[in-house]
Amino acid sequence: MNWSLFFDLTVSGLTLGSLYALIALGYSMVYGILKLLNFAHGDVYMVGAFLGWFALHGLGGPLNPDFAGAAVLFLMFIAAMLGCGVLGVAIERFAYRPLRNAPRIAPLISALGVSIFLQNSALLIFGASFRDYDTFDLIGVKTYNVGTNLFFSVPQLLTVLSAIGLMAALTVFVARSRLGKAMRSTSFDREAASMMGIDVDRVISATFFIGSALAGAAGVMFGLVFGQIYHFMGFIAGLKGFTAAVLGGIGSIPGAMIGGLIVGLAESYATGYLPQGSTFQNLYVFALLILVILIRPSGLFGRAVIQKA
Amino acid sequence: MKKSIFALLVAALAFAAIVAAGTSGASTKSEASASTALVKCGKTRTIGFMGPITGPAANIGVEQSSWAKYFVSKYNKTHKKSKIKLQTEDTQLGNPTGTAEALKGAQALAGNANVLALVGPAGSNEIVGVTKTLKDAGLGWVSGSSTRTTLTTDGTRTGYMFRTVPPDAIQGTTAASYMIKTLKVKRVYIIDDQETYSTGLADTVQSRLKAAGVSVTRDGVSQQQSDFSALIAKIPRDTQLVYIPWQLTPKGVAFGQQMKQAGKGSIRLMGADGLFDDTFAAVGSNVYDTNFPVNPKSAIIKAFKKSHGGKGMYFGAPTYAATQVVAAAYDKACKNGTATRAEVRTALKNTKIPAKSSVIGVALRFNRNGDLSTAHQFGIYKSNGSVFNPVG
Amino acid sequence: MAADGVGPDVPAPPDALDRPRIGVDEWVAQVEGRRERYTGLRGAVERWWERIPIVARVLVLAAPAAAFPYLTSEGNVFRYGLFTLVYALLAVGLNIVVGFAGLLDLGYVAFFGFGAYFYAILASPQFGNHWQAEAAIPVVVVATALTGLVVGLSSRRLLGDYLAIVTLFFGQAFVVFVNNANRINFPFAGHVDLTGGSNGLPNIDPFNFFGYKLESTRQQYYLLLISIALVLVLLYWVHDSRTGRAWRALREDPLAAEAMSIPVNRLKLLAFVFGAATAGFTGAIYGTIATAALPGDYDVGLLITIYAIMILGGFGSIMGIVVGAVVVSSVPELLRSSANARPLFYGAILLALLVKVRPWPRLVAVLGGLVAFGFAVHAIASAAYPRLVHGHAIGSGVFAHAMNHWMLLPSHHEKIADVAYVFLIAAVVVVPQLGRLWRTVLIPPLLYLVMFVWENLLLEQIGGATRLILLGALLVALMNARPQGLFGNAYVEIA
Repeated sequence: MNWSLFFDLTVSGLTLGSLYALIALGYSMVYGILKLLNFAHGDVYMVGAFLGWFALHGLGGPLNPDFAGAAVLFLMFIAAMLGCGVLGVAIERFAYRPLRNAPRIAPLISALGVSIFLQNSALLIFGASFRDYDTFDLIGVKTYNVGTNLFFSVPQLLTVLSAIGLMAALTVFVARSRLGKAMRSTSFDREAASMMGIDVDRVISATFFIGSALAGAAGVMFGLVFGQIYHFMGFIAGLKGFTAAVLGGIGSIPGAMIGGLIVGLAESYATGYLPQGSTFQNLYVFALLILVILIRPSGLFGRAVIQKA
Repeated sequence: MKKSIFALLVAALAFAAIVAAGTSGASTKSEASASTALVKCGKTRTIGFMGPITGPAANIGVEQSSWAKYFVSKYNKTHKKSKIKLQTEDTQLGNPTGTAEALKGAQALAGNANVLALVGPAGSNEIVGVTKTLKDAGLGWVSGSSTRTTLTTDGTRTGYMFRTVPPDAIQGTTAASYMIKTLKVKRVYIIDDQETYSTGLADTVQSRLKAAGVSVTRDGVSQQQSDFSALIAKIPRDTQLVYIPWQLTPKGVAFGQQMKQAGKGSIRLMGADGLFDDTFAAVGSNVYDTNFPVNPKSAIIKAFKKSHGGKGMYFGAPTYAATQVVAAAYDKACKNGTATRAEVRTALKNTKIPAKSSVIGVALRFNRNGDLSTAHQFGIYKSNGSVFNPVG
Repeated sequence: MAADGVGPDVPAPPDALDRPRIGVDEWVAQVEGRRERYTGLRGAVERWWERIPIVARVLVLAAPAAAFPYLTSEGNVFRYGLFTLVYALLAVGLNIVVGFAGLLDLGYVAFFGFGAYFYAILASPQFGNHWQAEAAIPVVVVATALTGLVVGLSSRRLLGDYLAIVTLFFGQAFVVFVNNANRINFPFAGHVDLTGGSNGLPNIDPFNFFGYKLESTRQQYYLLLISIALVLVLLYWVHDSRTGRAWRALREDPLAAEAMSIPVNRLKLLAFVFGAATAGFTGAIYGTIATAALPGDYDVGLLITIYAIMILGGFGSIMGIVVGAVVVSSVPELLRSSANARPLFYGAILLALLVKVRPWPRLVAVLGGLVAFGFAVHAIASAAYPRLVHGHAIGSGVFAHAMNHWMLLPSHHEKIADVAYVFLIAAVVVVPQLGRLWRTVLIPPLLYLVMFVWENLLLEQIGGATRLILLGALLVALMNARPQGLFGNAYVEIA
């Protein structure tokens, strides 16, 4: 048993999984409340990555930063999270709110339209080339040796830790705060919640804000770990994030987190252990999804959906 | 609301009328005679250009287009009486709707009687798609980047297709020979990027290495992918060389960086001409690359670099050569004042441009299949940490 | 206007008749619609249209289409005609699955690709088969239908959104498979190059029907036209049959349909099979037109195009699909040159203003304000910051000339145009939330900003990103304005 390979794959799987978990959270929360698949979520993630890039270069660039490395990172995160949060709220306002009472397919199409719009706006503004984060020198490609031949790098560690931190913060927020309680009750039964005096519109906007902010953070993390961002990166990431959300049970927050980690690890192990793993890695992930759906249609943590209340 | 629907309908109808009116134009030539239709070589001659100006492969097309335009501007400066202009058709290579755009572009060029030959297309799949259209119209084409070997050897395009880049077979063979004979590696990992350019090279190299007894593992990534960490984890640490014949330079750079991050930076990397760029060289000094023997010190390249912001975009240099070839063919065919597409094709076949006026370092002459008869070898380059220098 | 609903004493429905109304199902809406009599020309046309039989209707639509090749050049027939018909055929097939039966199928283009590849296997030098079309096409159609059956089997347990994901997976799986299937080792046959890998299958034989070869663009155009006419007639017939009605019941409310003893699962499978068969048929014909089956042609981008057609045209509406196909296919082509793009864009803005800004004094004020604002800004800029007006408008002609004197055209416009674009998006989101007076005042500067961004940024990229940006914006706007598409029937989900 090649422990070194296993460790490497696990680390890379956890890193990817954290990213997918953050994206999946956005999907899950929005679906829980609105029963809407937000196709544009992956592209919000892409915008977050670009916002982080802008912040980085606005603060002097990776080679000559105006502040210390940690401060620059922090500011990048803040910029991306705030920017994406606002973007998410705007998307909701503009593309989904007018369609609350329309047939189910209309907001889906609207989401598709927003997704196309965002992708191509990024293409328009940034061109077809890839943007490098080039932060390898900023935060150091320091690899830590654990025992012999077990490597992981600072960005990977950073990603996993901050993802855990964000998810913990979210769980506490949803469980303890008033807004969190409002979110939970709105996702359970929207009409009843509004009858109890909860401002449903505000809750929905807050949900979009939080979900998009998390996606923005994930975008910045992606840039830090993998170094390269481009306008089409939201598509597959969004798809995998959605897979993670469905796997964990859509509408459930712990489900999204666990689902994300599972998808990341599955992708990593498939690439590492299966023949031609990297070529077919997307297929393996989707096959896993199909399997889970066929066995347990509501996902791992999801509630069985009652069709006619 | 209903009134607006009515208004929309009216608009749609008006629209359709505009379409019908604006696109009505005579095209009464039958296909068979397109080849031999006589065209007056007036003061302005039109050369077709097909390349991906927009879309996922836009950086390739824009680079090729700027090299082609560069040649045209130089030509027009020295030829006052007969200027060239390019009719550019955007093929959107890699576009989600596939080769449909290339088909449309080919049709457009075929329908313009003033176009007697064209530069491009850039992608091998595109050429497969548009062959019938261009052949039916009698148009010959010179590609500056499509390297799939079978395009010229399967006999369906003889006399129509020419190219100013050596085919994959040569590049793959050169790379494999260097690996076997000079680097003497025994354990190689080959990763392709699922596109036809890459898989062709990877297949060639893989078969040669296997025949020489080298142990080869093969895998692939998608061009959209940026996270190679799992794949890199899979590469055993005792691998001696990783061959990545990819098309997109930034991906190669990212891969190299991530290898370093994973502590595998000492494994040699070799790319193909798609990755031949200073940024890829900057990844480290154990990076190799193959490229057709463009001489970086050539005057033409230096002049191009100067007028385009100092970046050494070698990938587009063969397109310069291709435009040069087509322009020379036009000159030959137009000697008596008129030309046909068939004449231009014959002129292309008999191209003879000496090495000193060619940007790619070898004389431009084509063999029977349409490949360069003067390019038998690719150049191998090694990075010194910031640029590629020729070795072997 | 028959504002009193179904009878004289029933109060008027609370909302406009074109919006989905809670509690009203399709049948009632249709009945009410039929009782509506439009006056004047539109009414007369509608009444005449409803009276003629289906076949005649298709012929009426087909007549101008049949005349098209004689009006324009061959290149244009290819560019506008062939692709429009291919997309329309695909959209019609997808309409069966999504519009009739309400199943969100995101892997549809895989069937299209399957048809093309299978035809290539049967009629190209790859395996040495050279079947003629009359033999190959039925085989391809049946094979694709079987594939549709397999995919449909997975839909038995899945509801709307999950089905979307599973079908998307099949679409992606197809592309990856086709890209890599040149290295498969079958147990008995050894190494078989099934799909040519990323090189695809080239040199597909032209369409050879009982010895009659269809090779020129015009012939292919007519082949497609006849095919789509046949498929349309078939579809109209199915639409009015028991199966069609059962599908629509399934779409409206699957549970109620099941309670009415409609065999829901069988119908879902039937929808998949029909849709796949149409796609396979189209794929086979497209294979002969494109003469090669290449992996990149059957991916998500095409899916989005077909969906855009269906959305524009309206789900379930067959004529809408034809109109949608014409629009989605020709508009990007027209937009390729700036000479066409400008009138189109400004015409669309003008139309939107005409519709939205009422009453007409307000409209005049807005337009006048816009022109005045433009001149003012241009004058100020020429005086104070001359660099802002040194550039040139793209293209030539009356419009470009006017722009040179009216619009800010900075000489180095990349950065400022990008910033303006982002600002514009923010403004478009914020301004509609303001009060009416604010909106009237802010619309001229907003319009000026739109035109600024258009002239300086979007027009350059007209061949690529701009088209899709406009498509995305159009989808969002369309869903806001008319969720059922241009020709669709308003219907309500009883959730």
